[in-house]
Amino acid sequence: MVDQPEMLSPLHDLAMPRAASDTAGVELGERLCASLVQVQAWPNTVGRVEKALSTLKGEITIMPSGPGRWLIEDESEGLEDRLRKKIPSAVGAVTGLTHGRVVISISGRKSEWVLASGIAIDFSTDAFPVGETRLTHHHEIGLTVHRTGETSFDLYVFTSFSRAFWQWIERAGEEVGYSVT
Amino acid sequence: MRLTCPYCGERDHQEFTYRGDASARRPSLDSQSIDEHNAYVFDRANPDGIHHELWNHTSGCRTHVVVARNTVTHEIISCDPVGPFAKVMK
Ligand SMILES: [Zn+2]
Repeated sequence: MVDQPEMLSPLHDLAMPRAASDTAGVELGERLCASLVQVQAWPNTVGRVEKALSTLKGEITIMPSGPGRWLIEDESEGLEDRLRKKIPSAVGAVTGLTHGRVVISISGRKSEWVLASGIAIDFSTDAFPVGETRLTHHHEIGLTVHRTGETSFDLYVFTSFSRAFWQWIERAGEEVGYSVT
Repeated sequence: MRLTCPYCGERDHQEFTYRGDASARRPSLDSQSIDEHNAYVFDRANPDGIHHELWNHTSGCRTHVVVARNTVTHEIISCDPVGPFAKVMK
């Protein structure tokens, strides 16, 4: 068997860990997904896909991303193959996005403030509770935001736009101070 | 202007793409009438008042919605999903 080549970060040395120059209002980080898969049901198979997803085991995050559509992350590899077995094409479409997205994480007391400086959705916990997902955009480029805690978010960014997005979020974080983990 | 997507909630209109007059009806495919096709492509009522228009939530859930908008006051009266997934959302 041929070894899978190691996944390389599209951010390269941009996201090297470093301490904040002053007190950090936010911490930034980068994560590559072991598995990231989109599942789209047909209009008459939404219930069947929901049922198939409810049987998934492991460290799974299921993010609703449209009517009958979900974005699913697994902390181990091979989710796409497992989903294809559970969801044949008569039931839904399974699309592997593992190499298509980079997760940029932001946490810290000023996370909402920094994100709101470029992303026009309501980040208050009333409007955007912990565990929920929002599909939106940043300067017209699509973006999926997953709230992982009161003051922490995972941003699923297109791989090819991740360097530009990282540069923006660093500039936005300068106002409150940032560190990179 | 903000539109309330039936899936995503209230969002800035920049997340949406305008897809035209929702009241325009395409002539049947076997229609040979040039006038009917011409009217479908070019003739618009341009009302001062309530206008029904199609918008797609391109930067969100990608649902098509029919927006009833007052062209004088810009009041949004309703945003209803259309298409095969519309009943999944209600
Ligand atoms: Zn939407």
